[in-house]
Amino acid sequence: MPDPNLFRLRVEFCKQGRLALLSHLEVARALERAVRRADLPFAVSQGFSPHMKIAFGAALPVGVGSTCEVFDLQMTRYVPPERALAALQDASVDDLMPHACRYIGPRDAAASVAYPVAAYRALLSRAPEGGLVLPAEVRVVRKKKEKVLRTADFLVSGPQVEGAVASFELEAKPDGSLRPDVLLRACLDAWNEAHSADGEDGPLRALSLTRVSQRAAR
Amino acid sequence: MSKLTNLWLRLEPLLAAAERPARYLNHEFGCVRKDDADFRFCMVYPDTYELGQANQALRILVNAVNAAEHLAAERAFLPAPAFCDTLRAEGIPLFSLESCAPVAEFDAVGITLPHELAAANVLETLDLAGIPLHADKRAEDDPLVLGGGPCAFNPEPYAPFFDAISIGEGEEAVPEALALIRRLRQEGAPRAAILRALAQTPGWYVPSLYRWRSEEEAQAAGLWIEPLEDGLPERIEKRLYEGFSASSGWEPCIVPFTEVVHDRLNVEILRGCARGCRFCQAGMMYRPVRERTADNVVNSVLAGLAATGYDEVSLTSLSSTDHSQIAQILTRLNRALDGKGVRISVPSQRLDAFGVDMAGLVAGQKKGGLTFAPEAGTQRLRDVINKNVTEDDLFGAIDAAFAAGWRRCKLYFMIGLPTETDDDIKGIASLAQRAYDRAKAAVAPEQRGSVRVSVSVALFVPKAQTPFQWDGQIAPEEALRRVDLLRRSVKYKAVDVHWHDPSTSFVEAVMSRGGREAAQWVEGAWRRGARFDAWTECFNEEAWREAAAACGIDPAAVAQTAWPTDRVMPWAHISTGVSERFLARERRLAQEGRTTPDCTFGRCTACGACPDLGAENQLAAPRTPSGAHAADAADEGRCEEGEARDA
Repeated sequence: MPDPNLFRLRVEFCKQGRLALLSHLEVARALERAVRRADLPFAVSQGFSPHMKIAFGAALPVGVGSTCEVFDLQMTRYVPPERALAALQDASVDDLMPHACRYIGPRDAAASVAYPVAAYRALLSRAPEGGLVLPAEVRVVRKKKEKVLRTADFLVSGPQVEGAVASFELEAKPDGSLRPDVLLRACLDAWNEAHSADGEDGPLRALSLTRVSQRAAR
Repeated sequence: MSKLTNLWLRLEPLLAAAERPARYLNHEFGCVRKDDADFRFCMVYPDTYELGQANQALRILVNAVNAAEHLAAERAFLPAPAFCDTLRAEGIPLFSLESCAPVAEFDAVGITLPHELAAANVLETLDLAGIPLHADKRAEDDPLVLGGGPCAFNPEPYAPFFDAISIGEGEEAVPEALALIRRLRQEGAPRAAILRALAQTPGWYVPSLYRWRSEEEAQAAGLWIEPLEDGLPERIEKRLYEGFSASSGWEPCIVPFTEVVHDRLNVEILRGCARGCRFCQAGMMYRPVRERTADNVVNSVLAGLAATGYDEVSLTSLSSTDHSQIAQILTRLNRALDGKGVRISVPSQRLDAFGVDMAGLVAGQKKGGLTFAPEAGTQRLRDVINKNVTEDDLFGAIDAAFAAGWRRCKLYFMIGLPTETDDDIKGIASLAQRAYDRAKAAVAPEQRGSVRVSVSVALFVPKAQTPFQWDGQIAPEEALRRVDLLRRSVKYKAVDVHWHDPSTSFVEAVMSRGGREAAQWVEGAWRRGARFDAWTECFNEEAWREAAAACGIDPAAVAQTAWPTDRVMPWAHISTGVSERFLARERRLAQEGRTTPDCTFGRCTACGACPDLGAENQLAAPRTPSGAHAADAADEGRCEEGEARDA
């Protein structure tokens, strides 16, 4: 449990543009360095290998952007949230920019588990004629083992298609989650296979995939 | 000036499938765009982003060029091998990061030559950029291709590929040369006139303006190169950045997203090393020794950490614990950084108890392993190479390290050093085992099981511009025999032996000692698929072997022939400031097993660097000898302390 004597600052930030191609680890390192540059009074763990007390939200795959990522920073003294935000913004690059800060309670759920449900929006290369159907199952390879995930176990809503934009919601489960990019790719592969005769416009592709909101499970 | 092409829209769709796309993104914190400049320079590191972004030369030169009026510098790196192939397949040329522009569109391109195994990558870089490989095939509107870095001290194996090569420190030489090129281009000067002007600029070598002589001619003339026209220098002396000591140790740097080697704030605390190890090229080429003061270093570290957000700083140099104020620097930094979770690291541990004390100052709770480099297994051979480290120094260091809490220690040695015998190889085993015994004795009985000593051996590479430049390398098969002898001689299970593939060291030796004909070999090997030779999994020995047969050079002769010191070597026209006479004398002393002290602790050894380069050692405070230096200084009555002067 977090130290009740520390202040827990929850920071919301975006991951966008070409920086959507950063990995979770690269984002984490970049944020930690931004916190140091912002000169916030971050807490440092004691012991063998002292490090900043910072915790990150659910990982985003390489290539997936977001408007609503979070991290929690433990601080040794109170800094007004708007001042903390201004300092972080000065220390950040455009496409990895914090846009909100607030304090959370010592017992509030950590960033990594507080928001298991996430909504995604995909911009496609064109409007998919006849709509999109998500595959019932998705094959994934984890640690060299193939595994079959049932889409229904993770899908909360969707897909809704409006023009060339497709939206869907996924819920992360304690024993695993379905990656939005993997689901989308499987979905587009199935569509392209079904529409191979159309040919002329080339395959339907995703131009971008973005996490647009995160929330607690209902 | 025409606008640079932006390749981003063609590149972006390929990145999702690339390994580590963060290599190609730009937009890191601290990267600089200078859109108002009218002369564009692209600085290339001929390997991937992870290796190149941390490179000090790249950072220094990009900053120095961007600081100059009218000039802008961008960075470029070779993509990883698979992505090089992707780019070729898509018809996308090598691009700069900042503008994502074709490297070939820049006015000038700089390629640093960090080590001998980067040679084939120079050609990979030029080819991927679409720049003609040979300087004499480049057209008026092709960029000027400039080289520099450690390997430029024997530039000949690279000579045909470069328009001009910078010898020595580039802080001033590079922006000056670029300003000259810019002015001449604006005046409409043709390429040939620009090259001629560069050749007359101190520290710049333009290979195409010199004929390469035959062996016979060269030995008679005392030089391998012959100027093709009047007024060209016959010797090119390195440039020295005289403002180093006084300049700030902090300068803006880019903070990468993806993990790179040495991913931390690097503050260069001193330049040069005068210990005089006879195999060491860096020790000869960066003379004289110049220290930044403790105030400068401490302020630079604090400013750099605040500006970058790094949680680690390395105090870099060739021998950081030799800095005259190192204890003060580390104590002050410890105090200033207490509780911030910042690690301080000091590379190149000095091999004595003092070195361990300094390592202890910054290690905190976490004590991984310590690395020491005795280099040779017997005192006789250490005297030959002028390592100036005794067994007592090593054991003093081991006692101090294991008593202070370290449990692992790595010992570096070279095999194949001049005069080495099987007894010296067995000496490595004996020294490592006795080091292990000392380590165990310094540790409480219940912890002795965790004590580990490892031995790492690499094949000696004779380097140009060193006293051992005339000495041959042993053949790779002989190296393996000696490694085998070493492995059989180590009886302790807790002492493991690691060794480096001698076939890459062989290529290094040829590149280090070869003349202009070695360039054909490089090109032949690259055409047969050699690239990324420094990556163990990419080294393509077959390509190098076949290339040698095809171009008719005998690489074994280049690497392995020992010469008398009156033989004119292929780099005789390039001067580090250290005189050939000094190198020859050092080699004679080596053969006699006699050592030469470090001039920063005692008297001048007349290497020639100071008077020749018009500079001298600049120490922040007098250096205090310890270990072997104490003995040297005692011999000499510690006479020359007055030589040290405040920076």
